[in-house]
Order: sequence, then structure tokens, then C-alpha cells
Amino acid sequence: MILGLAVIAGVLAGLFFARWNKETWQPPALRHIWLVVVFFLPQLFAFYLPATQNLFPAPLAAASLVISQLGLLTFCILNWRRAGISILTIGLLLNFVVILANGGWMPISPETVAQLVTPDAALHLEPGKRLGASKDILLAADAIVFPWLADRFAPPDWIPYRFAFSVGDIFIGAGAFILLAFPKQNTAFLQKESTHHANQSNF
Amino acid sequence: MKNLTAHLASAVSKIQKQHVQFVLAALVVLMLVLGAGAPVDGGGIGH
Repeated sequence: MILGLAVIAGVLAGLFFARWNKETWQPPALRHIWLVVVFFLPQLFAFYLPATQNLFPAPLAAASLVISQLGLLTFCILNWRRAGISILTIGLLLNFVVILANGGWMPISPETVAQLVTPDAALHLEPGKRLGASKDILLAADAIVFPWLADRFAPPDWIPYRFAFSVGDIFIGAGAFILLAFPKQNTAFLQKESTHHANQSNF
Repeated sequence: MKNLTAHLASAVSKIQKQHVQFVLAALVVLMLVLGAGAPVDGGGIGH
């Protein structure tokens, strides 16, 4: 949800800048887009589709997350030099490392959960178990490997929408925003790259 | 009349192509972001 807002903000900013420069908005020039579609599917079924998200046993859901993120990481590396993707890749790598180190799940501590739900709801949560249908697992703070990369940040109390996020999520949101708000930089890079290849083939 | 129809058809096809490109790009980035990120929604905990 919160990362979806980064995408919407990026699209709106991209449209604004395009109109400001009296140009049409160009989509970011990305390669191997099929990797995103194919490797998002395991997560779509394991975490996002209400009809299927509870059908996945925990080990299969964790494996889906790791395999999916590995595929998405491959896509990011192949598009590394596009504006925004490099920042997004750093975020994905940070999330991937902490997820891999904690058994295929994004860890979250009871202290962070207490900032998201009522004390009554927090009492019913068991350590070591997946939180609802999310990618998170509840672990005691001292049991988390790489705690600084875990979901440990929450918005200020005056924001009614409660969520927790990681350092990696900040990079991912920022990368997506830049990718969509300044897509022309990607197109310019691709043209430069094509010219470079054409020049190389002439020699 | 014929010119007007051709012009209109050209404009419509241009707009449609742009719209499709726009939606596809936003959708791909949305999939990438949802797949890469792992924030947890307070409303989804305990369900």
C-alpha cells in the first residue's frame, strides 16, 4: 500500500514534469520486463491474492518470496544503470539480505508491532509465526539477524494509517519515484547506449 | 470529411498507444516495487 503511493506519486510527478516541458510522458526504457511479470507471480499468489494467500504453507510462502526476489534482483541488475533502478536495487538487496538471513521472512519485533496494533491484538500474536498474510515474521528483537535492516520503522503517531517499513523499503520507494518521475533520463541513456553499440560495430 | 476522419483516427490511435504504454509502465513498476518491498500494514496483522 505505502509503496503503491510512491508509484502513484512518481507517475503524477512524471506527468507534471512532462507537461511543464511541453513534452509527452515517455515510459521508462527497461529491458527484460518479462522477468518482473514472471517473478512477481509467486508473490502475487502467496501474499497478495486473498483467494490464495492463506493456501500457502509457511515454508512454501518463504521459498516463493526468496525465489521471487532473486528473479527481481536479476532484473534490477540487468537494468542497473537506469535512473532510479540503481537506488531500487540497493533497497531490494538490503531487504533480500535480511529476509534470507531470517529464514525467508522479513523480521519484525514485538516492540515495532506494538506501534501498529492495539495491545489486545498484540497479545494474540505468537513469536516465530507469520503476521497475517504478510511477508513478516514476529521475532524477539535479540533473535533478529541484521536488526537494522528489518521492518523497524513506523510513521509518527499522528498518522492514522499504521505500517512498519525497513531501510530497504525507503530505497525502493525513492527508486520507483525517480524511475517514473524522470523517465526521460532512461530513454536518453538507452539512446546513448545504442549509439555506443552502433559505433563499436562500425569498427 | 475523409481527411477529418483520418486525422481523428490517427489522434485516437496515438492517445490509445500512449495510454497503453502509460498503464503498462506503471503496472510493471508497481509489480517490481510490491515484489521488492516488504512493509507490513497494521490492518493486516492478526487476520
